[in-house]
Amino acid sequence: MKVVIIGGGWSGCAAAVTAKKAGADVTVLEKTDLLLGLGNVGGIMRNNGRFTAAEEIKYLGAQELIQITDQASRHKNVDFPGHRHASLYDVHKIEPLVRAKLEKMGIKIQLMTRIVNVNMDGHTIQKLQTADDTWINGDIFIETTGSTGPMGNCLRYGNGCCMCILRCPSFGPRVSISQRAGAEDILGQREDESYGAFSGSCKLAKGSLSREIVEQLDQEGVVVIPVPPEDINLDKLSYKVCQQYALKEYAENIVLLDTGHAKLMTPFYPLEKLHKIPGLESARYEDPYSGGKGNSIRYLSMAPRNNSLKVNNINNLLCAGEKSGLFVGHTEAIATGSLAGHNSVRLYLGMPLLELPRSLAVGDIIAFANEMAQSAEGRKKRYTFSGGKYFEQMQEKDLYSMDIALIEKRVERIGLKDIFKEKLL
Amino acid sequence: MHQLLECIDAGTEYCPCYLAESNECIMCSQLQGNTFCDCRNWKGVCIYQEYIWNRSRIKEGRREITCRIAEKKTVSGNLMILTLEANRTLARELNEPGAYVFLRDPRDPGYFDTPMSVMMVNEEEGTLSFAVNTRGVKTKALAGLENEVSLRGPYWNGILGLKYLKGFRRGKALLVARGVGQAPAIAVARKLILAGNQVDMVVDAGNIGVNFAEQYFRDLGCKIILQTVFDKNKLTVSPEALKFIKRQVEDEGVRLVYCGGPELMNRDIKELIQGLEQEVYFVCSNDAKLCCGEGICGSCQTRLHDGNRVITCKTQLNPMEII
Repeated sequence: MKVVIIGGGWSGCAAAVTAKKAGADVTVLEKTDLLLGLGNVGGIMRNNGRFTAAEEIKYLGAQELIQITDQASRHKNVDFPGHRHASLYDVHKIEPLVRAKLEKMGIKIQLMTRIVNVNMDGHTIQKLQTADDTWINGDIFIETTGSTGPMGNCLRYGNGCCMCILRCPSFGPRVSISQRAGAEDILGQREDESYGAFSGSCKLAKGSLSREIVEQLDQEGVVVIPVPPEDINLDKLSYKVCQQYALKEYAENIVLLDTGHAKLMTPFYPLEKLHKIPGLESARYEDPYSGGKGNSIRYLSMAPRNNSLKVNNINNLLCAGEKSGLFVGHTEAIATGSLAGHNSVRLYLGMPLLELPRSLAVGDIIAFANEMAQSAEGRKKRYTFSGGKYFEQMQEKDLYSMDIALIEKRVERIGLKDIFKEKLL
Repeated sequence: MHQLLECIDAGTEYCPCYLAESNECIMCSQLQGNTFCDCRNWKGVCIYQEYIWNRSRIKEGRREITCRIAEKKTVSGNLMILTLEANRTLARELNEPGAYVFLRDPRDPGYFDTPMSVMMVNEEEGTLSFAVNTRGVKTKALAGLENEVSLRGPYWNGILGLKYLKGFRRGKALLVARGVGQAPAIAVARKLILAGNQVDMVVDAGNIGVNFAEQYFRDLGCKIILQTVFDKNKLTVSPEALKFIKRQVEDEGVRLVYCGGPELMNRDIKELIQGLEQEVYFVCSNDAKLCCGEGICGSCQTRLHDGNRVITCKTQLNPMEII
């Protein structure tokens, strides 16, 4: 029984892990030459409700990737405006660790394999067409191609291709597989109703910053520098994707986090203005390379799905990560990916698909994002354990907890402890 | 549609073109009237970006230039080799398998434009040679020229299956060329030889009655087999020729077959290859009636097995898909 995962980002890797543990023969197809996609320039884990979610994922039995991000952390327990107890993984160390783990588990990885179309038999995907016109068969497919780019979308809905880590010009653009299979994409919107949203952060090369800033980043993980009053732009908060960082503090200050890069918590910032800030006189961007001009555009390609992450009206397609909703973050990707991977084997066996209960933050966010995707207002919001509307809900429902023993007990009480470790085949 | 269609002009200085302007781009979903990317046929350049960055205007199209006729050599009754003085840039751009231009008497109206495959180029001197077979109004007008000719180009889609041709290395290829089809086969043979392939060349003199390119093929290092391939009375490829090609694939390890000749000849050989067990790349001359070369006039429109129609003057595709 062959599970084919399209897209090797965090959610695709998480799906691969749980599908493998459930007994499938698993292949991950990735269009670039690196796994983890945007995870190669991300790094923020365990901030606010993500701590609870990460522990839930571990107790559900998909601890592998969470452990790797913990192990690769440059900083733990960092606070920055609006956020508490974050871990920042080292973006330069993470991909080889994940790749080695997947390979050790016997998961097949095909890099530089871009999927461009599907061959259907009614509502069932028979095989996938690659850009070089070969065909890949499978029993169950999981789409984790994300919703970012490609160039034409970044141009139509943003400021053009700014050369982000996805490197569309080199490896070819993302194609929406669910849409190709006949399930029309759902699109996220901004407050002004335009489609898509900018990625929420850009990354500076640490070597281009002053020694004082680098030292502070190395020691504390975070640096907050006030923006000159004439350059404060509150409007910019409304068009960024990460609403958990759409706080006044982020317009009035430059917030830098140490992920190996100096992660600048704003979608883009003109170099000329950046250079006026003490310590950033020589700053230059690491991702996107043209971070002074713009950033990638996201949320243009969500698949309609149920709370088990099966794509509606397509018999053998599941989805995860941004493909499955207006989610932000690696933890959210790992959570949805883990569920989709496990459910791929259930789907093959004709078993009822697992739906995580709303008494867990992970189950609640999956159901909540799906509900919200049904309304125009809901499609203007993003959903993350770390802030914005969903973190509020998490606190109101008392799902947010830093008590590891309590989180374990919650998962145990509903009988789902180690569910992702069960070998079904 | 699973067919991966590539526009031969995508990413060149002639892209985006009139098709993009009228939402008929061959490759880009945004320039087909959609508002989202569905970019299945990527050639390394975002055509939509090129269009917007060009202030939502198309690129300047190909220009017509007047070339002096350097040499006009009659080979046989109807066949002449025409050598033109163009320029080194054009010569370099046309030094590709499948390259062609439109030629006409500068005094004639535009509809005298005659598509003509490039036979040889001299990049150093900027000259271009063509084999002109005088057959109708347009070629007769060309045959009568002594001093100058109007040239519009460069165009590149004279051969279908170019990606197989360009990707084939250190293998065995069989080329079948008939009549004036010998001319574009020279660039094909050269490309294959440069990629380390062994090239066997079947040359059928055809209606013109001469193997005018034989020496060029020999000079390139091809093994020459002279034989009649196409029976012009029955309008089919002779059984002996089919048997020969079959043997070449089955016993001699040929894995790429190129056909340059009349449509019916290409069709018979294509069908033979389709029926063989071995996986063989099939490449052939583009036999559509090329009239404008820009995807506008529609004369080259061809139907594919999946029911779709494509304009073959600009669309690169697997020739096996053509009905």
